[in-house]
Amino acid sequence: MGQRDIVSYETSVRRKSRIRTASTMCRLDVDCAVKGPEQHGNALPSSRYMVGRGVKRKLNDCEDQMLDLPYPQQRQLVLDLCLDKLQSCQRRAEPSLHRSVLLANTLRQIQQEMRQEGGLHLESPPPAPATPRHSPDLPPVPSDRPSTPVAALSSSLLCEDDNDAQSTCTELPKGTGSEDGGKSQDLLFGSFEITNSTSYLTDLQLDDIFEDIDTSMYDPSDFSVLACPPPRGSSGASLGNDYNLKAFSTSSSTLQMCLNDLDHIMEILVRS
Amino acid sequence: MAGAGGGSNDVQWCFSQVKGAIDDDVAEADIISTVEFNHSGELLATGDKGGRVVIFQQEIENKPQCRSEYNVYSTFQSHEPEFDYLKSLEIEEKINKIRWLPQKNAAQFLLSTNDKTIKLWKISERDKRPEGYNLKEEDGRYIDPNTVTALRVPVFRPMDLMVEASPRRVFANAHTYHINSISINSDHETYLSADDLRINLWHQEITDRSFNIVDIKPANMEELTEVITAAEFHPHQCNTFVYSSSKGTIRLCDMRASALCDTHSKLFEEPEDPSNRSFFSEIISSISDVKFSHNGRYMMTRDYLSVKIWDLNMESRPVETYQVHEYLRNKLCSLYENDCIFDKFECCWNGNDSVVMTGSYNNFFRMFDRGQRRDVTLEASREGSKPQQVLKPRKVCADGKRKKDEISVDSLDFNKKILHTAWHPQDNVIAVATTNNLYIFQDKVN
Repeated sequence: MGQRDIVSYETSVRRKSRIRTASTMCRLDVDCAVKGPEQHGNALPSSRYMVGRGVKRKLNDCEDQMLDLPYPQQRQLVLDLCLDKLQSCQRRAEPSLHRSVLLANTLRQIQQEMRQEGGLHLESPPPAPATPRHSPDLPPVPSDRPSTPVAALSSSLLCEDDNDAQSTCTELPKGTGSEDGGKSQDLLFGSFEITNSTSYLTDLQLDDIFEDIDTSMYDPSDFSVLACPPPRGSSGASLGNDYNLKAFSTSSSTLQMCLNDLDHIMEILVRS
Repeated sequence: MAGAGGGSNDVQWCFSQVKGAIDDDVAEADIISTVEFNHSGELLATGDKGGRVVIFQQEIENKPQCRSEYNVYSTFQSHEPEFDYLKSLEIEEKINKIRWLPQKNAAQFLLSTNDKTIKLWKISERDKRPEGYNLKEEDGRYIDPNTVTALRVPVFRPMDLMVEASPRRVFANAHTYHINSISINSDHETYLSADDLRINLWHQEITDRSFNIVDIKPANMEELTEVITAAEFHPHQCNTFVYSSSKGTIRLCDMRASALCDTHSKLFEEPEDPSNRSFFSEIISSISDVKFSHNGRYMMTRDYLSVKIWDLNMESRPVETYQVHEYLRNKLCSLYENDCIFDKFECCWNGNDSVVMTGSYNNFFRMFDRGQRRDVTLEASREGSKPQQVLKPRKVCADGKRKKDEISVDSLDFNKKILHTAWHPQDNVIAVATTNNLYIFQDKVN
């Protein structure tokens, strides 16, 4: 057979942290010379993708430790991971709607469970923050019931057909209001749309675009402990994240942790 | 050493070739994102994260001792990264899927897609060129016309074979969400493209218009709980297609029933086993791939831990279920933490639908022989890379009692995942993609 002309190409421009390898010939054309086992003396060639050089990514002991925990703590661990991942979803360069939906569903499932269990399982129930937010129509709320921001976020993120959640939502006067919650959900899922700059005028999802304009009703100074969320695409940990992580590890009150985390997420979602 | 085979003879899988750099430092652009044989099996296309397509061609050799090898036929940059100014988002150039069109003339055509745009590429050969101009020098400079005294007509002479790839159609701006599947219809005129929430039907010739045939976007995005994960046309019935969801359901739709196929004709769903319920049940039930069998009677789905074969006539449960790596069931929390639980494995049928194959971790891949009810685990690694070297079956030990040659679950490398595999349409030749290498295995030729 005759020679093949390999169409030469240059790979695309360098963009932010993604450095392309410019190559003038197809990199799969390197028909590797067959090497005997002795050439791989030291270690199995391992893919460096996502892990530092030489480190083989193994399963950590999370699962073993997790299975030793009592069920509520297992659930809390999963909840924490869920919130973590949902937060990082916003910052990822390649957001995935599929992943976010799965995370949101898992979150909703856990919160539904926690809500159903109500005051049954808590070791040290936090004092519910005194807010005027409870509707008189709600059934009497025990003091250790998950506080309204939790319910608001879960219902706004996941929009259940739950009467309690709905009525709680409608009563919130400001701050983590259902409107913002609703918008945050749309922001969470709305940011996955790829619009083309030439077609946006005819694109009926115009509303999603304008939801980026924040008409939040609450006062950002309420969240003074939290730093501004990091700019999109940056991977640096913000003060808020550190605060968050510390809250995860040090707080003994599970629900208070939830409250803080979710407020933090609300802040990020509405601001982004 | 037994392998999984089609038919009554055991197939012994041997290493044939490996493509790609040996270098352990994997450039992100080189990560293989899709692998696909064409309809004759002569061509093998791969797409990568850098937006490039590499096509290999099988050389027809007369030597009876060994099968033909695949060598590079063409390479081209299919997609470039784009920037969505409105959303301040990058649109990745990664090739999500490649599908070959049935061959109609001397040229080959394929569809390649990234998250947003589908392109139709024509790959054609040129092996002649006109020669004999007497108006130009060898290097192309024009000769002084005053010195030309004779009229000479150029003639076509053979030249070294050149393979050219050119984009013939660009199908853009039809998807708001990330495209995950494309599938060519058996009518040879249309094809579908699916994103997270919608499926569109295109005519292969028309780029400025497509028909939306499935739309699961809720009016209120707050109510979104399910996305489309894969879609495929039936291999023979041009009116039928299926799409799978993140909740583990598959819907079969008939385009004759209505223009918008939001209402399915059939819903395939297996009730959940309550004893296996965990926080991650929904995530691991999400279907990452759906493939019809070649004969069109069955379809196969891949979720995180298993492969299921469904009879199209029975919606209530699959007819066969194969566990790919059940030993991971107790490790789901760790896999959730390191995001491996979101990995999307593909699956494929062999030519006569008797064996199915899918990938796993540690560069393992699995084959399930449906007829003989046997399965085998093989590894794509450099250690097994001597020519014609028979692959040794591997075994993972789930409990503590590890036998010789077994690998314990905790030693598995979860960075080395085989997400993409392909099987030659007729022969026992398979292409297995590790992160940045393409392995080709063939059955042992005696």
